[in-house]
Amino acid sequence: MTAVDDRPQAASTHEVGRDRRRKEDQRLITGRTKWTDNHVLPGMLHLAMVRSPLAHARITGIDTTAARQAPGVIAVLTGEDVKDLQGSLPCAWPITEDQKAPPHPAIAVDRVAFSGEVVAVVAARSSAAARDAAELVDVDYEDLPAALDLRASAKDDILAHPDLGTNRSATWVFDSAEAGTGSSVEDAIAAADVVVEREFRQQRLIPAFMEPRSTVVDPTGEQFVMWSATQVPHILRLMLAMTLGVDEGKIRVIAPDVGGGFGGKLQVTPEEIITFLVARHTGKPCKWTETRSESLLSAHHGRDQWQKLTLAAQADGTVTGLKVELLADMGAYLGLVTPGVPILGAFMYNSIYKFPAYHFSCTNVFTNKTWTDAYRGAGRPEATFAIERIMDELALELGRDPMEVREQNWITHEEFPFTTVCGLEYDSGNYEAATERAKELFGYDELRAEQQRRRESGDRVQLGLGISTFTEMCGLAPSRVLGSLNYGAGGWEHASVRMLPTGKVEVITGSSAHGQGHETAWSQIVADQLGVPFEDVEVLHGDTQISHKGLDTYGSRSLVVGGQAVINAAKKVIEKARPLAAYQLEANPDDLEFRDGKFTVKGAGADQEGVGLAGLALAVFAAHDLPEGMEPSLDADATFDPVNFSFPHGTHLCAMEVDTETGATTMRSYVCVDDIGNVVNPLIVEGQVHGGLVQGIAQALWEEAVYDDQGTLVSGSFVDYTLPTTADTINFVTDRTTSPATSNDLGVKGVGEAGCIASTPAVVNAVLDAIRQFGVKDIVMPCTPERVWRAIQDGTAGAMSETAGAAAGHFAEGEPNQDPPGAGAAPAAGTTQEGGQA
Amino acid sequence: MAMELHHTFTVDAPPEATWALLTDLEQVGGCFPGATVTSATEEEFTGNVKVKLGPIGVTYQGEGRFVERDDEAHRAVIEGIGKGLRGLGNASARVVLQLEPEGSGTQADVVTSLTITGKPAQFGRGVMQTVSDKLLGQFVECIEGKLTS
Repeated sequence: MTAVDDRPQAASTHEVGRDRRRKEDQRLITGRTKWTDNHVLPGMLHLAMVRSPLAHARITGIDTTAARQAPGVIAVLTGEDVKDLQGSLPCAWPITEDQKAPPHPAIAVDRVAFSGEVVAVVAARSSAAARDAAELVDVDYEDLPAALDLRASAKDDILAHPDLGTNRSATWVFDSAEAGTGSSVEDAIAAADVVVEREFRQQRLIPAFMEPRSTVVDPTGEQFVMWSATQVPHILRLMLAMTLGVDEGKIRVIAPDVGGGFGGKLQVTPEEIITFLVARHTGKPCKWTETRSESLLSAHHGRDQWQKLTLAAQADGTVTGLKVELLADMGAYLGLVTPGVPILGAFMYNSIYKFPAYHFSCTNVFTNKTWTDAYRGAGRPEATFAIERIMDELALELGRDPMEVREQNWITHEEFPFTTVCGLEYDSGNYEAATERAKELFGYDELRAEQQRRRESGDRVQLGLGISTFTEMCGLAPSRVLGSLNYGAGGWEHASVRMLPTGKVEVITGSSAHGQGHETAWSQIVADQLGVPFEDVEVLHGDTQISHKGLDTYGSRSLVVGGQAVINAAKKVIEKARPLAAYQLEANPDDLEFRDGKFTVKGAGADQEGVGLAGLALAVFAAHDLPEGMEPSLDADATFDPVNFSFPHGTHLCAMEVDTETGATTMRSYVCVDDIGNVVNPLIVEGQVHGGLVQGIAQALWEEAVYDDQGTLVSGSFVDYTLPTTADTINFVTDRTTSPATSNDLGVKGVGEAGCIASTPAVVNAVLDAIRQFGVKDIVMPCTPERVWRAIQDGTAGAMSETAGAAAGHFAEGEPNQDPPGAGAAPAAGTTQEGGQA
Repeated sequence: MAMELHHTFTVDAPPEATWALLTDLEQVGGCFPGATVTSATEEEFTGNVKVKLGPIGVTYQGEGRFVERDDEAHRAVIEGIGKGLRGLGNASARVVLQLEPEGSGTQADVVTSLTITGKPAQFGRGVMQTVSDKLLGQFVECIEGKLTS
């Protein structure tokens, strides 16, 4: 590791930085845990959903007679039965004032807008009885034309929601000239020596978390209790209250152990509302657990965009402007943060580069498909993919090495803090250091030489090298910024630290772990802060009656926001204990110092005993002898709202071998050097990076949600939706450089999404690098063997088309820069290599 | 999922006899494997058909009718629409039938435009062609049996 910042590290580092084995894993691995579906309550009913097989249809009749008469069935409810109770599912992020959206019913009432939408629910004594009876619900549909293709839908050829009058929900624009953060892109394009214009496709993906969604509602107590496999118990509770008109105080939401989410459980789902309604209707506890097919079909999907980029540059390779125009597929409805997902990428297309001019616009479009929403990285993988693909294209136009062109344009480490063309302040980073380390581990120059040899010898298997130098903004917060983006909530996080009379510590966090290892990391942090053993810290979360306040886990925010809240609460505990310690030591509070769990008097020598926090906690519990006016409690709460995002970055290098006869691709080497600031637990970080890499690589090579021309999801099982396993991946080489974040005490940045954000373009750039020699210009993801083979065949035949027609507007007649790109593109002599090697 | 299926078969019977049989909806329906004709007139019929597509078994209940029928040219267009029971989605078909003399027998060309939604489309698309070929084989065998007996 290369330390590149000499700011002081967090004060005590006994636990922070250790590769502690996760304390939650014993329970999880041995199965001594409770997922939502494990909950069994007396008299509990089981629910099964009846779903529309059609993408767009009017419901002309529902006959529930046979289902009601089926064995074990207690209730069958249709949209008609609940239409006045169910409200409309919430969207917390209307991106513009005039955003258009249809009502979003939990159960469709008279029309279905995607295949998989719930049209009725059956409650029965067993899940088998419920499923059997669900098949007996007889629904009559009258087919309506379905809007399926994103680009056609943007033209309103077929309306996904006829009453809305258009498929275009909203258009969101950022322009650096208008915002005063940069100059005009149109001017940059007009004056450019080189203009590169490309269109990329972000295919539709499915989050595919390991634990299927499940919800249990118990209506038999004073409060409705909902257990749910959710990332967001606090937001869910608030939204249930607002959607259903139930007092917030009468709802308790519990997220027990949750098996992964990747954004897929950052949602308020129709099924949660329905389970609540049926429990209230029947007066019995109700459980719904989805099948994998249901999950793939109806849990929200991710990505699905067309991205058009125009990059303007000088002949020497200096980029002068970037214009980004997106079409984003919302699917049939707006979920919790659906419209905001592409906007989360808006400030990231300029990435690590010093572009002086930037324009971003995104049009959100409805189609008759499952709605999209957050998926690991949310907006930032799209941005990283597009910019890293087009930086390669620029290098290609210039006939330069792609790393060299990046280096020429990126922010050098001396330039931090750096205010970007979007107005974000990048607090720290060192792209040179990460890149140098990555190249060294990768053997960049040797691989380039091998690539050349293979090309020359006409090897059947060609080698390609792909680069992705990425950054991301993470740790959602700050509330002020979210407010300026019309987001419906803040981005703070809450924590409490409770000192128990035995000296043990309870930490209550508003973050809601679902696989991240917060229990371990928070214990490490608190152990250092309070000087108590790691084992003595108990972390509680995910139950709104225990953790009454919080904004949950997504957007790589837990450590940088929630972790800091924990630190702040721990610091308050120390300050609350200080007067009591001074009282016991008969010293002035200001003369005390707190270290390794005890207060001592400054300058009184190393042999003094001092008083320990555990003893003080017991004294406070007894409260027999406290200083005058002291409240008998050391417990403290803190709510933290950061002033800035954190900006992890890194350099990812990928070598792909492509069999030119079959199109099969094999990963030869993958190296990533990430700078995520200081690290609390390197083992957890390694796990996050590996998982993220695989998810990003999967977008590049394997995964895609495919609909047929009737709007049926045909990749609705793991036979067709090819989720990778360890057998499909190689050993990754990972390392880190460290530029601590300045926005929190630990100097940490988020890592939950980094691997997923960075890896996709590295892989696709590598595949293309191997086969561009055959005339291939692009391959739409996922780069399956068939697509690679076809690209080679088409390219060899000279049939591969340039970026076509409407996508290449700047090459239209009368537009500037009509010279063939090669003419003005020769690298100028004496090109300045900005930054250089660290 | 929309797909077009092409089938050609020959039967050892003259075009007139074949035409008469193939336009007798009750007789024809009875020859289709898994199909039951519940009512039939000159122009239309109702019934159901049970099909197994890979892992999915589905019963379609529906109706069909002649949209074109040229007794001289031996050409007919039949449209049918079926609702899959147990919420399994719908199927609709447009069948163009054309008979030509072939030696002493008849050659029949059948072009079927088929649209299927729901689980059968999701899980059955890989086997659709094979299944339909097999079903048609059985259908032709049955027709031939009726013509030659």
